[in-house]
Amino acid sequence: MRTVFKAACWLGLALLTGHARAITVFACEPEWAALTRTLLPQATVRSATHHLQDPHHIEARPSLIAQLRNSDLAVCTGAELESAWLPTLQARAGNARVQNGQPGMFYAAEQVELIDPKKGGASAFAGDVHAQGNPHLHADPRRLLTVARALAMRLGQVSPAHKATIEQQLPQFERDLNARMAVWAQQASALKGRGVITQHATFGYVWHWLGMSVLADLEPKPGMPPTAAHLEQVLAQAKAKRPMAIVVAQHHDPKPARWLAQQLGGTTPLRVLPATVPDDQPGALLRWLDGLVSELAQTQAAAKP
Amino acid sequence: MPPLFRIAPQSPRPRVLAALVLTGHLGLSMAQGLPRPEAWEAGVVLDVASSSQALALGARDKGLGLGHSDLLVRGPLGQHLSAEANVGLHTQDRQLEAHIENAWLQTRSLPAGLQARAGRFASQIGYLNEQHPHADDFSERPLLYRALLGGHWYDDGLRLNWTAPTPFYLRLGAEVFKGKQLVPQAPAISGAGARTLNLKVGDDLGESSSWQWGLSRVDNRRVTEVAAHEPDAADHDHAHAASYSGRRMWVSDLVWKWAPQGNNRQQQLRLSWELAEISGIHRDADPSLRHRASTLAAVWRLNPSWELGLRSDWLRVQQAENDAGTVHVAAGRLREHAIMLAYKPTHMQTLRLQLTQQRAHGANDEGAPVFANPARRSIVLQYVISFGAHGAHSF
Repeated sequence: MRTVFKAACWLGLALLTGHARAITVFACEPEWAALTRTLLPQATVRSATHHLQDPHHIEARPSLIAQLRNSDLAVCTGAELESAWLPTLQARAGNARVQNGQPGMFYAAEQVELIDPKKGGASAFAGDVHAQGNPHLHADPRRLLTVARALAMRLGQVSPAHKATIEQQLPQFERDLNARMAVWAQQASALKGRGVITQHATFGYVWHWLGMSVLADLEPKPGMPPTAAHLEQVLAQAKAKRPMAIVVAQHHDPKPARWLAQQLGGTTPLRVLPATVPDDQPGALLRWLDGLVSELAQTQAAAKP
Repeated sequence: MPPLFRIAPQSPRPRVLAALVLTGHLGLSMAQGLPRPEAWEAGVVLDVASSSQALALGARDKGLGLGHSDLLVRGPLGQHLSAEANVGLHTQDRQLEAHIENAWLQTRSLPAGLQARAGRFASQIGYLNEQHPHADDFSERPLLYRALLGGHWYDDGLRLNWTAPTPFYLRLGAEVFKGKQLVPQAPAISGAGARTLNLKVGDDLGESSSWQWGLSRVDNRRVTEVAAHEPDAADHDHAHAASYSGRRMWVSDLVWKWAPQGNNRQQQLRLSWELAEISGIHRDADPSLRHRASTLAAVWRLNPSWELGLRSDWLRVQQAENDAGTVHVAAGRLREHAIMLAYKPTHMQTLRLQLTQQRAHGANDEGAPVFANPARRSIVLQYVISFGAHGAHSF
């Protein structure tokens, strides 16, 4: 009897929630998929990319065109991160809702100020320079909060039927994030002023947030794969400046970083970290940031003599 | 169609190239939260190559030359339209030529997955036709394109596409063209000279591979008079046209791409295969005669900077010749194999070395070969660099 009652309750709930049709969301990167799921758990969210892919180098695949065709809202980074593939998807999807300037096209980079803008644009020889600034902004929890507030508004605009849910979920996320930020500040206090060797500006916002500095970059120019001559220079810099660690993303080729770590004879640990959320479970964003901070804090603690 | 202008080698290089080397974006910081106004983009692509021998049906001369280079602008026109225009530049017979290859408007706000385009644009038949030749993996287009579509077929016309609301990609398209670019030497006709119907389907297979298949039909009303001599001779105004045409063409194209865990930045394998058949090649010739062509290409991205590619092409044509009022048909075959190695220090630059071999068979009644000058061995060194906006490259 009780199971029948339970089943009836679930069915009723399903009918009620099904009544207000959940929206379909196309996220360019997994962090925005995670944020959308946090703010509107009923939404059908698919991420175009995952943490083992370099978001600069995605192809406008047929499956992605079909995904965008069927979406009510696209949530992307902007600032030219997706310039090699998103415009093609928008041009081919035949979906008026997700064109630039429409409520269904949300760019996170338009909600916050970016670090390291490059004035005057880029030449063909400067590598993959983003004139508007570093687009990998999701690794800064303060900017993430600003984006979350703007995205909540946008979700409510695109899906008015779910406004009540979104208005409940946003303050919850704010509380959770603020609570974690207090913990992270404590964990990361010893990281301030430390230097790392890194590859690309992938974790640029992490260094900025935690007060750390980049002593050298494995890429000779942004987006350009490391060359032997450049790696020799980085090795010399590493020997002179004694970095806390070499930190690269999981989607980078690990070989140059491994070579450097080997040349340094085990004095400098190598950390290969995910550049974005590696799973699509609830709470993924906070878990991922947790992982980043604790990994760096542990590396720092271990480096102490 | 005659080119816009030609410049003899002794005249100065057009300054417009340097003047148009613009940066892609003028991204000034905007008030936060407001959508950035969409910017117009401009870009230039230069393709310079040196070739040891010209290929039969090839687009590159022997020696140093400018390949398919272009100047491009594109951007939005209000909420409902986007526009693109580009001028293609290349050298042919040591002269610089320019052609307007794209000048079109496309809708962005039609409902139900519909899109319309009007103006001059490349037809969406086949896999490569709509892509810019400078983005190709080989220094020359496949034989199929060079023989049957004049390298790439762009024309003046209208297009209507429908993208289906399916979980996989499905697109149906129809185009009507003047057809003048396909068979320029044909006598003028009124109305649409060529119509196409096109189907594209595609999806991912697991996290590492994706595929796309296309089937296209072209109905062509512009039919040539039979040439009194072989059309392979460099008759200039015909150089951008299909060397072999007919009333109906079918093209099937299949592409499969694989990258470990979908991360094509580090490594990728790309396979593409296209098959085309043309029927109705001449009203006085046997209706069962066909032109056929096929291309099969494999390209490996070994690491972010290096790519290695192999391509195998074949072509069978029926060459109709007018011999004092009687139409004779000579069958000709051409095979082509190419191997290329490309170095890409950044994704805006490519340095490519390619070796191509051709073998020809077939002669007419008088013993004259259908393909007079196949290249036994041709080596090409090619350098491509782009400034500013990149062409929108599709799958």
